[in-house]
Amino acid sequence: MLEGLVSQESLSLNSMDMSVLERLKWVQQQQQQLQQVVSQSSNNSPELLQILQFHGSNNDELLQSSFSQFQMLGSGFGPNYNMGFGPPHEAMDECISRTSSCHMEPVDTIEVLLKTGEENRAIALKNKRKPEVKTRGEEKTEKKIKIEAETESSMKGRLNMRNTEASSDTSKETSKGASEIQKLDYIHVRARRGQATDRHSLAERARREKISKKMKYLQDIVPGCNKVTGKAGMLDEIINYVQCLQRQVEFLSMKLAVLNPELELAVEDVSVKQFQAYFTNVVASKQTIMVDVPLFPLDQQGSLDLSAINPNQTTSIEAPSASWETQSQSLYNTSSLGFQY
Amino acid sequence: MERQIINKRKRVFSLQPNKNPNALFTRRYVSHLVPALKKINMNKSSSKTNHQSFEKTVKHEVDMAFALSAQEFAWSRFLQQKLLSSPHDDLISTSSSPSEILERSSKKQGGEKHQDRDEEGGEIKKRLKELQKLLPGGEEMNMEEILSEIGSYIVCLELQMIVLKSIVQDNTS
Repeated sequence: MLEGLVSQESLSLNSMDMSVLERLKWVQQQQQQLQQVVSQSSNNSPELLQILQFHGSNNDELLQSSFSQFQMLGSGFGPNYNMGFGPPHEAMDECISRTSSCHMEPVDTIEVLLKTGEENRAIALKNKRKPEVKTRGEEKTEKKIKIEAETESSMKGRLNMRNTEASSDTSKETSKGASEIQKLDYIHVRARRGQATDRHSLAERARREKISKKMKYLQDIVPGCNKVTGKAGMLDEIINYVQCLQRQVEFLSMKLAVLNPELELAVEDVSVKQFQAYFTNVVASKQTIMVDVPLFPLDQQGSLDLSAINPNQTTSIEAPSASWETQSQSLYNTSSLGFQY
Repeated sequence: MERQIINKRKRVFSLQPNKNPNALFTRRYVSHLVPALKKINMNKSSSKTNHQSFEKTVKHEVDMAFALSAQEFAWSRFLQQKLLSSPHDDLISTSSSPSEILERSSKKQGGEKHQDRDEEGGEIKKRLKELQKLLPGGEEMNMEEILSEIGSYIVCLELQMIVLKSIVQDNTS
């Protein structure tokens, strides 16, 4: 996915307006400069990167603390500061495209910020509001720049770890490494053009994506969901399937109760091992709950068991619908060692 | 060494028996169910109980083994609580009788005519409510939780079915 984003970005670069291209080039230049500065002052890089990652957030305290640390760097760093949002990874590049345009004007305020730590809070607020306003304006004007927003809660308390990791990477590596690491901690959401970037809608979108992921997983599990589209239809299928399974379990337990007196429960050992054989084969084809399972060449044994089950199933299970029958038959067909729907 | 084992075709093991969650569940399930069934058998032979209560007991044990074998999931805990609180009541509440299902489907169809104009969200909510009823503990969960729990519930139900079928199968043939 990252590669896709990067390539998209490069494509979008071609089609962008000159103003944006220029801006990006400027940003990259600044980035290089920053790299030099960072390499010179390796002590400060964690704080720098801290700031880099903070800039998108509304976190007062963190900004304050990081800015106070920046006082050490001195004024020579000032003009380079706003480009510094750079680099470690491609995601931040796009942050730059947003933030840099904002900060081309208030360079002064940043310099002041760097020098005096007391006005941090006020200025930090100012800087926050500007990028937010500007992003909405930018969204409408620019063509394919993707804007990233990061939520507050994920920022707190994890940055030090990430910063040290990020700082140790080069700019090329971090495009993958840090953003992946960050992805684990952040709730990374990309706003597309025309979509709102305020936190509520972002959180909602993240929630919706989670839900759709889960629905996809369920779609794989429940047979027959592929043909149905839409949440409601799928939920219908899922409900039917669960009901069907529950009925079958009930029926089987009744049957078990009938048989119970004659039950030769010493077969348990054999059963267990048959199951293990079955599942080591079948399981590999299923998704999620899955872990790597070594496949044994147990085909014949597995199929012996299940072909025996198969005829029993079609006759004894109380009428599921026709579609279920055919599907559950294929379910237990082990010709290809997998659940087939 | 494994080849020898495989060639014997008597014993089959997975290399990492505890890693594969499906096998883990099945093993646990069988280990819970079979002793319980044996116990029931012994009790039955000693005391004469009518067939229905015997069925209920078996069903109870089946459900209990089910709940105990899947401790990682929220629904199993709810199921366990339910089972422990009402041990010998009719536990067929977990599955619905055919008539109820017909009712529900007819309601849905009737409702859908009204709701063609209404939002799709209403329909989805209806179905989610039904799903809540099906899933043990579903009433206390919100939508996201239900969706994640349902996946594991379905898989465990399928596994349980396989176990029960093969136990029944072993003893009818």
